[in-house]
Amino acid sequence: MLVFSRKQLAWDAVTLVNALIGLALLLAATIALGVFVQWQQGRPRRHIPHEVVEPGRLGADSLGDTATLLQFSTELCSRCPGVHRTLAAVADSREGVSHLDIDVTHRPDIAKHFHILQTPTTLVLDGDGAVQTRFGGVPTRDVLELELNRLTGETARV
Amino acid sequence: MSDQTDAAGRPRGIDPRGPRFAAGITALLLLVDVFLGLTTPLGATVAQRAGEPAFLLLLVIALLFLWGVLSPRTAPWGALYRSLVQPRLQPPTDLEDARPPRFAQGVGLFVVTIGLVLHLVGVPWALPVAAAAAFVAAFLNAVFGLCLGCQLYLLLQRAGVIGRERHAAA
Repeated sequence: MLVFSRKQLAWDAVTLVNALIGLALLLAATIALGVFVQWQQGRPRRHIPHEVVEPGRLGADSLGDTATLLQFSTELCSRCPGVHRTLAAVADSREGVSHLDIDVTHRPDIAKHFHILQTPTTLVLDGDGAVQTRFGGVPTRDVLELELNRLTGETARV
Repeated sequence: MSDQTDAAGRPRGIDPRGPRFAAGITALLLLVDVFLGLTTPLGATVAQRAGEPAFLLLLVIALLFLWGVLSPRTAPWGALYRSLVQPRLQPPTDLEDARPPRFAQGVGLFVVTIGLVLHLVGVPWALPVAAAAAFVAAFLNAVFGLCLGCQLYLLLQRAGVIGRERHAAA
């Protein structure tokens, strides 16, 4: 009886240690994933196809003269309204910059076309409507301004 | 808080910190459940498996998810947040749409239910794995504010599983 309970105890200790190691691994992996995704979010990506966007396809009349902030949202997107406010404020504060917010909830064709895997996704278009920069997630206002400065600087030189 | 609509009749939105607070408690419960699931050997009969603490706790979590889907306004963690936590904080700077967190509760319910059913059938590791998956989502929501449910919604919708497709007038 004594031997049995001792064995039981030893087994329990091993299970306990294994379970705690499992928990620690789970926690570490989750934190690593969160840090990685957050690091990826809101980073400008410039090495992308510079496709020229036609406003008519998106149901818009025209694009901005110097730049367009093209935002893709869905109905069930908690961070889209916040990004909408930021982008609208940036567009309002600059001459020739317009902000388009496209709801792709009922337009999977658009989502597929622009390879949108998450909302919000923001594309920065230049004066010709060519995609210059892509942001997945929430871009900060500073980074957006920087991208727009880059664009307007380029058009000024040309 | 009785009037939840603005002048235009749209939903006014909720304090985004509420769902994150709730996700934090859910993540803690799920972590405890993963621990219980890893330490308890799989029972030999359905009755034994249904009586295990890991199963019972996950069942409670599933019911809380269900509550969050059916009636987000009365769900316990949200109510706890509004009565105890919110009065001590600054008013929210942004209000958020109540639908994404509600959809996320549904995703949680789905994942956890699969774990419960497979566990009852006798699939080893099903319960801790499902609890761990739900934990990852809840933890990322609570700590990093990442909404996996939103992204899943878009992917499902792109795959044509959910949502209606309105064809563009070419």
